[in-house]
Amino acid sequence: MKWMIRLVSMLLALVFVFPLIWMLVVSVKREGMGVTSLLDWFTPPYSLDVYGEVITQTKLTHWIWNSFFVAVCVMILTVLISAMASYAMSKIKFRFKTFMFFFILAGLLIPGEATLIPLYQVAKDVDILNSYEGLIFPVLASPFAIIILKSFFDGVPNDLIESVQIDGGGIWRVFFSIMLPLTRPALASIAILTFIGSWNNFLWPFLSVTDDNLFTLPVGIPTLMDQYTEDYVKPMVINTIASIPIIALFLIFERQIVKGISMSGIKG
Amino acid sequence: MQALIFLLPFLFIYVLFTIWPMIKGVEMSFYKWTLIRKIEYVGLQNYANMLQDSAFWSSVWHSFLFVVLTTPTMIVLAIILALVANRKSRLQKFYRSVFFLPSVLSVAVASYLGLFIFQPYTGLLNSLLHLIGLLPGNEEIFWLSETSLAWIAITLLTLWWTVGFNFILYLSAMQDIPEDIYEAARLDGASDSQIFWQITLPMLGGITRTITMLQIIASFKVFVQIYIMTGGGPLDSTRPVIQYIWQIGFRQNDLGYAAALSYMLFAILLVLSAFQYWLNNRKGE
Repeated sequence: MKWMIRLVSMLLALVFVFPLIWMLVVSVKREGMGVTSLLDWFTPPYSLDVYGEVITQTKLTHWIWNSFFVAVCVMILTVLISAMASYAMSKIKFRFKTFMFFFILAGLLIPGEATLIPLYQVAKDVDILNSYEGLIFPVLASPFAIIILKSFFDGVPNDLIESVQIDGGGIWRVFFSIMLPLTRPALASIAILTFIGSWNNFLWPFLSVTDDNLFTLPVGIPTLMDQYTEDYVKPMVINTIASIPIIALFLIFERQIVKGISMSGIKG
Repeated sequence: MQALIFLLPFLFIYVLFTIWPMIKGVEMSFYKWTLIRKIEYVGLQNYANMLQDSAFWSSVWHSFLFVVLTTPTMIVLAIILALVANRKSRLQKFYRSVFFLPSVLSVAVASYLGLFIFQPYTGLLNSLLHLIGLLPGNEEIFWLSETSLAWIAITLLTLWWTVGFNFILYLSAMQDIPEDIYEAARLDGASDSQIFWQITLPMLGGITRTITMLQIIASFKVFVQIYIMTGGGPLDSTRPVIQYIWQIGFRQNDLGYAAALSYMLFAILLVLSAFQYWLNNRKGE
């Protein structure tokens, strides 16, 4: 029984990594080799020529950079403006607070996919189509992040805030030296989920950007693929190059990522 | 006043890019409206067309079908993977990394891997089936050009690519179950399968409800995998609703009609959320 479980476990693991191993192996084959059996992929001749070709003759690396740049901007700005709004909702008294809460809560029910068509028109009206601003700003408002952060801010004791205020600390000092440091795990969780969301966002960049210098990875990759379905080497080189940075990031931040996801489930 | 300063950046973005489009869409849905400009007022014509548009309703059905195919399989697979990774062994960390790894791939990379895995003649799956003798050498399975096979391929790829998130949620829920409950059960002579069915699974009820809720909505919004793997084919038989709305808006240059369809999508998602909310509260009692 024990060895059965072990065997099944290993098989499952193999199924999960095998496509990635295949991707890697095919990417270092020489182009134009007729492949008749699975084993042919795993035998020489190998060659890295296509890597050089893809890196020098396509904009793939530039698109990787775009994806990172956009994802990092979206991550930082989303965390910042959500934290600011959550702080106001949690610790500052003001009129219409209940109304404001439901106004933000309503956003949870509006899926981005349902407003995509009018959003395109709005982005056209304010003239941010085909720009980094257009890729970044429309995706920053996250009611989900505010609901989560508010619940964490609610847990920060008021005494702590008052003691800073008695020492003459203003509202910004409270925000930056008490609220943010004390809720770091929640902020990190939001940051990670936002980064992954932006990294994988397809629809909005796909609609809003037509200039290939502004493409993000998901939008750019299909434009390279169309011509090459006969021979797998080039597509797999493209896939591999596109995956190396994000897999490296995953291996570095695995613990934080796992924690971030677990936390989203508790609150979800 | 201070509150306003803190709320302002968020409110500005939220109103301009979430609330305003929601309102703007109503206007657009009453017009013939192209990518270039507003053409003419058509009243409720777009909505009347929607009721007659069988291609739209079959795309809605395809998205539902995708929900039905992916939600239960996703949950079962996530639980199995979490059980594997939760077992005490030297490979615990390895399993966790391996099962989550595909989830970090860019959606385009995952979809193209899917496309090449399911190709006839040279694709990974057919080659593998040939190699281990499950598929005779002179036969090929055309995964992506037969509707039912295409759905299987799309579902398998989606499971492989996205199960990681749910797997992590289950794994952390399993690790939160106190060890002494298991020990007490073992002292009473419970077998491994009894422990699973009568302790582990019931304790996962809460997280299962959360995952089901998120998964149904997420699956209904499917687009990219299908767009890349089958293009919605063969003969539009796998085309999901998001792809249809996109085609109406940006291929057929009819943003007004696409806006009307978007409201139907919004209404469906709202009903799904309300249904789940009701289900949750009922079970919670």
